[in-house]
Amino acid sequence: MSNTQARLPKPVTSEHIALKARKVSFAWEETPLHWIPGDPFTTHTINVLHLLLPAGERWFVHVYKQVLPYIEDDRLREDVIGFIGQEAMHAQAHDEVLPHLKELGLDPAPYLAQVDWLFEKLLGDRTLPPGRARKWWLYERVALIAAIEHYTAFLGDWVLNADSLDRKGADPTMLDLLRWHGAEEVEHRSVAFELFLHVDGSYSRRVRTWATAFSALVFLWQRGARFFMANDPTLEDGRASWREFLAKGRQGMLPTAGAMARSIPRYLDRGYHPSQEGSTEQAVAYLASSPAALAALAAEARATSPLPKGAA
Amino acid sequence: MPRLHTVAALAGAALLTRRALRRRIEHSPLWPLPALPVPTSGRPRARALTLTLARREEIADGVVQLSLTGRELPAWEPGAHLELTLPSGLVRQYSLCGDPADTSAYTLATRLVPADSGGRGGSREVHEELREGMRLRVRGPRNRFALKSSHAYVFVAGGIGITPILPMLRAAEASGADWRVLYCGRGKASMPFLDEVEKIAGPGRLTVVAEDEAGLPDLGALFADVPQAAAVYCCGPEPLMDAVAEVLPAGCTLHLERFTAAAPAEGEEVFEVELRRSGRTVTVAADESVLAAVRKELPDTAYSCEQGFCGTCQQRVLAGEIDHRDELLTDGERDGSMLICVSRARGGRLVLDL
Repeated sequence: MSNTQARLPKPVTSEHIALKARKVSFAWEETPLHWIPGDPFTTHTINVLHLLLPAGERWFVHVYKQVLPYIEDDRLREDVIGFIGQEAMHAQAHDEVLPHLKELGLDPAPYLAQVDWLFEKLLGDRTLPPGRARKWWLYERVALIAAIEHYTAFLGDWVLNADSLDRKGADPTMLDLLRWHGAEEVEHRSVAFELFLHVDGSYSRRVRTWATAFSALVFLWQRGARFFMANDPTLEDGRASWREFLAKGRQGMLPTAGAMARSIPRYLDRGYHPSQEGSTEQAVAYLASSPAALAALAAEARATSPLPKGAA
Repeated sequence: MPRLHTVAALAGAALLTRRALRRRIEHSPLWPLPALPVPTSGRPRARALTLTLARREEIADGVVQLSLTGRELPAWEPGAHLELTLPSGLVRQYSLCGDPADTSAYTLATRLVPADSGGRGGSREVHEELREGMRLRVRGPRNRFALKSSHAYVFVAGGIGITPILPMLRAAEASGADWRVLYCGRGKASMPFLDEVEKIAGPGRLTVVAEDEAGLPDLGALFADVPQAAAVYCCGPEPLMDAVAEVLPAGCTLHLERFTAAAPAEGEEVFEVELRRSGRTVTVAADESVLAAVRKELPDTAYSCEQGFCGTCQQRVLAGEIDHRDELLTDGERDGSMLICVSRARGGRLVLDL
């Protein structure tokens, strides 16, 4: 125990990279309801992302806008500004999938209304006196985001390497959305944790918020998967089960329970730093070949100013 | 054995709780989280669609009409435009000129603008690269030139500026309002939709002026006996719109649609922005954004992409006319807010809630 206090988070410096938002856009008309052919359980388990992320990432942006005045390090501020734009684009991109699901007969509104309540009301700006209480709540949320980002980076790294999804013939547009998002999550995985270290960084808060975030994620995710399976109009008796989750993990269609369990002590290690996990190189390589990211780059390279409505 | 009793009681209680919870959840699977009355997610600002270019035809000299088809396309109203992503990645906006009731196709028309007269490659790509059967990505439709209800209308279209006006003519005719239209252009051969305009308007309401035959249009005559408080809609080249603004009778409201949004970098306006909450006023120079000017006073103002797509810098506008230059905000949001990284003021002054 004597040496644990002295262990500080060790960033891998070569993994730092300047962040910027990419203006991507996806068209969904051709994506089928079960975009992994013949595998509704995996499809819907991954679909839960579209339910959690729009509200969740808007909430990240909302919290980070408030924390900007407390950042004293210029490089970190740049990173946070890049992070905010990337998260805002993630929220927009996942938001666009939802009307398509509704058109396919799977209306996500009841569950969305709950997720939105969770992020906008429960985790929103409480009526608190300015000063200590307000700051405590802000830093608590910053720590929650750092814990959630540990898992988004974990999932991002997983989806970049999930070759089984390609082999099963998953819809290319959906795969590109997931991998573009996953790659950006890997790319900016250090920002949330560094911000947490910068404003507070206490170990007890890290453990406390990890426990909250982890339980909330497990609870919301299993409930979202159950909700989709139960309401899928094409399934007679749709059910989500833990057993199937474990089986899909073994087939490489979902992250394995073992990998998830192993990620817990890593986050709780005093020497943890997100740059020790995942590979920025791989993320950047994917972003350099992603159809959506390339289209965004092309659009940016040419003047994007909103111009003519008939001429030019 | 008090310990055994405790264990048995706890186990029994756990079983009962589990059963009760199961029943409760079966009854209502989303119990017990509260919910917002209406979810905020799932309503994206604009959706991307991939449409098929079903028909491409030259309808006048240098003007091609594109017909993009899809299934159950979002509805639109006269004045709306579509954002089209060309195969090269160029993004251009074109007014919809078809029938709003047709939900299976969007119709656009574009004029070829050669590079030496200020074209920037978009119309050239439309004219030279697009082939029937191609799949094109669009966003929208959006409307920044909406036809407001009025008892009388005056429409002025210059050349390709007829595209947003054409559906307006049909709507005005259907509403039974008193209306007239001036359609001018360089020459009749290059003026698209001439027959259609004639058919909708009949002889009494339409004035067609082709510069090569009759010179510049007589705007004074157009507005000579115009009804009180008519709504004037004008789309055409900049000089035409300036001329209309000059002769506009008092009481009439003028609505303009520019085809090159007034955005030449060198000719930007200098204006003032009042930050009402912090009680400061900043001057936005011609070559800087509102965001840059505001950040000099309030360095913690949030922003990110600085190109008008991420939405981080959206701010409430308390007063002043906004020149929206972003591609993100909905028409509703445009009423009272702006993205300060790209949008500017029209008319010298803005008041922000900052």
